[in-house]
Amino acid sequence: MNKERSSVFAGITWDNMVLSSLMVISPVIVCGDTLRNAEALVYAFSSITMLSVCIASFVPKKLPYALKVIIYALISSLVFIPVKVAAQEFYPGIVLRVGIYFPLLAVNSLIVFQTEAKFFKLKKIPMFFTVLFYVIGFDIVMLLTGIIREFLAYGTINGKVTDVDMLISGLSQPFGGFIFLGLMCGLYRKIRSMFSKEVSEVRSEADVSGK
Amino acid sequence: MQKKTRTERLVWIDLMLTLLSLELMSYFYYGTRSLALAGVCVSAALISEILSLRVMKKRFTADDMTCTSDALIIALMLPAVMDYKIGAAAVVFAVVCAKNIFGGRRNMIFSPAAAAYVFVLTSWGRKMLLYPAPHDKTGIFENAEDLISSASYLYNTTGKVEHSDFELLLGNFSGPAGAVSILLLMLAAVILIFRRDISAGAFLGTITGTAVLAMISPVSDSRSETIKYVFAFNMILFAAIYVVADKRIAPKKQYFAFFYGLFIGIFSYILLITTAQENVIVIVSVLFTPIALAFKNLEKKIADANISSENDLVTDDNSGPDMPIILAEDGELPVIEGEAEVSELIKELSETVEEGIDNE
Repeated sequence: MNKERSSVFAGITWDNMVLSSLMVISPVIVCGDTLRNAEALVYAFSSITMLSVCIASFVPKKLPYALKVIIYALISSLVFIPVKVAAQEFYPGIVLRVGIYFPLLAVNSLIVFQTEAKFFKLKKIPMFFTVLFYVIGFDIVMLLTGIIREFLAYGTINGKVTDVDMLISGLSQPFGGFIFLGLMCGLYRKIRSMFSKEVSEVRSEADVSGK
Repeated sequence: MQKKTRTERLVWIDLMLTLLSLELMSYFYYGTRSLALAGVCVSAALISEILSLRVMKKRFTADDMTCTSDALIIALMLPAVMDYKIGAAAVVFAVVCAKNIFGGRRNMIFSPAAAAYVFVLTSWGRKMLLYPAPHDKTGIFENAEDLISSASYLYNTTGKVEHSDFELLLGNFSGPAGAVSILLLMLAAVILIFRRDISAGAFLGTITGTAVLAMISPVSDSRSETIKYVFAFNMILFAAIYVVADKRIAPKKQYFAFFYGLFIGIFSYILLITTAQENVIVIVSVLFTPIALAFKNLEKKIADANISSENDLVTDDNSGPDMPIILAEDGELPVIEGEAEVSELIKELSETVEEGIDNE
């Protein structure tokens, strides 16, 4: 029972899709430089992924894998249209700024790959909560990245000016985001290995350095 | 192994001596502020190296003192009056993000100093490219005033040089704290090449690439003037010695290193004349790290192929099906012809394997 519960919460604990599996990292790196951008991406990612996966779960499982993946992509593309219209209403200007990364969310790996590999092997209700926690896991990372990068790069939080002495504007650029995400991944794995002996044992067994 | 470690430390000492001489020159032009900046950078490097090694569960050894030479290189690439916090941030970035995150000093991909320079350039570009005039001394805790653009910027944008050759040789023009003393840099290059502390191939490749392009496409009135000024400005000489020819980054074989340097020299000159970007060679050297890695992989593949072919040769020689073993009268194995060559081969093989393990 505990194991089942922990696997439902895995998306925000030990199997965070961004920090652990490095999925959907490009919007985090390129567009996650302000909280406002992060909010827009969180809204788009959450609504597209949740709706698409829930609708796609009704696709017959007997269909060939290639056909199913195409159908999932079509469903998410259809979901994307109203989400984008609403995003232009809620976040005017941000959609344009985020650019190609906004429509790319419609074909993210959670919808295209993880559905078959993980979610559709579960029953409907556990699947819904598992997807929900994976999405929340992404949202947390996205918002954290947006807040910290905006604070360090622009000296503001959600557009409000703060009293920061030294700004690191390189963090607002993709290479800064890449480095920042790399550091966050390292920190996450360190914390995870501290809390989970099993994980660290597996990691040490998998060590191929030969030292 | 012991010899290699000793060599590594000697390289660090030689580098530090040349860098300290440049720092001395910087002190002469910009006063104690320049020394204080170098001190802050070196201290920040040591602290961040010790802390990051502790996080990586490694011990701090004398070999890890190389972080101080990287810190000094960074300090010399910055304006002498640069904010201490920015200098410290650059050094921490170099040690933690550009070096230790990739596995430490034995697994380096970028030159830490070059990566830190690019980081500072993208984050504090305006502060980075404004310099004090020579002999305009600033106190340790004072804010610098009347900062000016560098002589490199003036040359890149207008093609004009307002300094005599003597001033250029002594570094009596505005620019990074330690990268302008051309005479001292030339001496440092000669010393470091003869003591095999830097990759001669990479250094000569960079110089050749830049000089050939300067001859083909001169910026000044004459070709000789272009060559003269190209090496005096934009940190070409400094970067060729301390960044491109860094033995930890450049390919080991001299001819591979030469082409690595040549590509950097050519591309940095092309970017220089098309974009007029100051000190572009440092950015190019960071962008060209994949080339260095590719050359290193090629070297490794060639070495592996050589080892396997030598092994095949040895096996073929000793695996004759009907080879009779005739013992000497005293029961010892007889001295066969070519035994000395075989033992030499085995010795070479074991050295190559040891070197490979060291590299790992």
